[in-house]
Amino acid sequence: MIELQSYAGYSVGDQLEELSQSVDQSMIDAYADASGDVNPLHIDPEFAKTTFFGRTIAHGLLTLAFVSRVLSQWNWQGWAYGGELNVSFLGPVYPGDTVRVSGEIDQIEKRDDGIYARCQLTCFCDDRKVVKGFVICKISH
Amino acid sequence: MSDYVKYSSMAEGDAFLDPIPSFEVTKERVEKYIQSTNDETEQLQIKDDQGRQVAPPMLAAVYVIEALRTKVGPPGGIHAKQQFKFHRPAYIGETLFTSANVLKLYERKGRHYVEMTTETRNQDGELITSGMITRIWGKET
Repeated sequence: MIELQSYAGYSVGDQLEELSQSVDQSMIDAYADASGDVNPLHIDPEFAKTTFFGRTIAHGLLTLAFVSRVLSQWNWQGWAYGGELNVSFLGPVYPGDTVRVSGEIDQIEKRDDGIYARCQLTCFCDDRKVVKGFVICKISH
Repeated sequence: MSDYVKYSSMAEGDAFLDPIPSFEVTKERVEKYIQSTNDETEQLQIKDDQGRQVAPPMLAAVYVIEALRTKVGPPGGIHAKQQFKFHRPAYIGETLFTSANVLKLYERKGRHYVEMTTETRNQDGELITSGMITRIWGKET
């Protein structure tokens, strides 16, 4: 593996285009319907009041769908065909929150089968970090 | 007798899902997912030269989690970490089969952690997505 500072228009330090997506209960309900994940913690306010969170929270995987939108816009081919994601869920997203997804290339490497960019990734709701991790996309054969 | 999977009943190396559940990638499910996540990625709206229409890579969050939901832990479990590698997007019309294996079981700060690997293949055995999920197992009563 050989590390590079830049390749074909991609450079270490490049920022991905930030995405900002508001989340409300109707979006959470729609995701529950689409995904089949109807855990009452997400869709039943009365039940959610009895939990640690005190109110409904969005599915963590809904936040990852926003991450995927950012990566699809940035490099569809490299993301959909061989992309890798590795994240930790750090906190809940509540109805009314706005999720901001940002990423920055921190490594470009030459592997046997091509050139790959690794992006450090963070999702915030205001000042709360709710997801962090990294993604890897192929940027050239 | 509880109908959830007890932490103590699992062993590292176990196949978690038996039988392996199937998932039909229907146009309706994909469209619902795209709408619920506000995904406007251009490539999701066009067919390839063989007339196939791809699903968003992160639909993996639906078909993998749906497979894992066929065997659940006690209530209160938390999704802590997620890794995916997208070998290629699923096509509308495919049938997907997700297998899962218990990779690691450990305890930290009084909580039980379960790491599982997952692998999703289509009806012809073609690899679509692989991944790893870390769950904090719910407390057993």
